[in-house]
Formats: sequence, structure tokens, C-alpha cells
Amino acid sequence: MNLTAFKRALWVYHLNTGSCNGCDIEILAALTPRYDVERFGIRLVGTPRHADVLLVTGPVIKQMVPRLRRIYEQTPDPKAVLVIGSCGSEGGVFYESYNLAGPIDQIIPVDVYIPGCPPRPEAIIEGVAKAWVKLEMVQKQGGK
Amino acid sequence: MVILESGYAFWNPIIWVIALATVMILALYFRSRGQKNYKKGTAQTKIFLCGEDVPEPELGHIKASNVYWGFLETLKDYYYAILKPQTGIINDLALWFVLLLAIGAIVILATGAGAVAK
Repeated sequence: MNLTAFKRALWVYHLNTGSCNGCDIEILAALTPRYDVERFGIRLVGTPRHADVLLVTGPVIKQMVPRLRRIYEQTPDPKAVLVIGSCGSEGGVFYESYNLAGPIDQIIPVDVYIPGCPPRPEAIIEGVAKAWVKLEMVQKQGGK
Repeated sequence: MVILESGYAFWNPIIWVIALATVMILALYFRSRGQKNYKKGTAQTKIFLCGEDVPEPELGHIKASNVYWGFLETLKDYYYAILKPQTGIINDLALWFVLLLAIGAIVILATGAGAVAK
């Protein structure tokens, strides 16, 4: 991966839309010394207004729909959305449950899917790298 | 110009002004390095409150009692029920006192708790 356009560190915002926390624990694992994504400049931030990438977990319960939309809209352009886990990708064990509005791509556009229940930190890191490449492409095209 | 010295430190207004100006210049420099591609008039420039909709300042009124919001929300049935008899009139308060004292006395007598004292 040769980055030329998107030169700054990649800041990500993590949003749980009703996940069981399995995927969220794996995201944290990616930040621990064993995987240490911060050495690549990838770090979690506390607000989507500072983020380049949204990491979204969970199957999106109905109450989370306006929050998810608002957080997506509050993320500055260019942005990439990563769905982490089976629940966010296609409902997982909660498939067609009465209280779900998801999966996530029914509500906001998604760039990268990382399947797994939960996916391993290596998979999450690869997904984030793919999102980085997407941002790089958008930046090169001068798009927003 | 007055320079105060105490043996441990000193106070010089010129140095204070220079330090303040330096901090302000640095703050403005970091601010100028920030993202400029926020789309004005969209949600991107609005306050982030964990995804919640932030009301307009004139519509938002947060009282000090909001600290107890969760407490009151949980116990509101009980709280509003006991709030109604609170008239603030001393006669009513005395009446409540006598009433509760009478109930207490009946409970003590009925359960035989008074017998232990004998």
C-alpha cells in the first residue's frame, strides 16, 4: 500500500448499534500492544467530527437508527464506513428479529464489510487498511 | 512599571503579556491547521452529543434538579404521590405527625412490642 494523497494519520470512530460487545472487544484487541494499530497512526477518537472512518458494530436496533444517521452525517468528508461483524453485515443471529432496522447498509452506505462473529483483529486491521485505500482514491480524485 | 519579587518568584506584567500572546499565537496556528472542508449548514458543523439531537440553546433549559433526573424518573410514582400532601402549612404537618404517631402506636400495641419493655 503506497499512500500519496491521504497523508495524515487515520482517525476512526467506533459506534455500537446494539452489538453483543464481541466485535467491540476485538476492536479493543486491535489497539492492545499485541496488534497495536496506533503504530500505523490508526487511533480511536471520541467524536465522529474528528474521524475519517466509522467502525460500526451491531445489527442496528430501531432506536439507534436516527443516532446512526446523525453520526454518519456528522462525519466530515471524505469518509469511509466499516461494518464489523456478522450482525452488522446481514443480521447475524438476530436476522429478521422484530426489533431490528438493520443491517447497517439499509441505513447508511457501507464501504467495507468485515464478516465474523466476531472477526479477528487481523481482519479488522485489514478492513481499516482497505478503507484507507478508499479514502486515498477519493482524495486523489479530489472528491468530497 | 512595577516588578514584584518575593524571593521565590517575581511578577512582571510585560512577561505575562508576552506569554499570553505566545499562547494565543500557538492556539491560532493549531486552529488554522485544522480541517477546512466541513460542509457548512450540515450536521458536520453541529455539536456531537453521542448521536442525540441537540436542541437550540433557547429551547434547552437545564435546571440543577436535572442531576436527580434518573432518581426522580425511577421513583416518580412514589415521589409525586408523597408530593401532593406537602402543602407547606404547619397545621397540616402537625396533623401528619400526629397521624403517623398514632399509626406507630397502634403498630407497637398490636404487635406486642410494648410487652418487651415490661
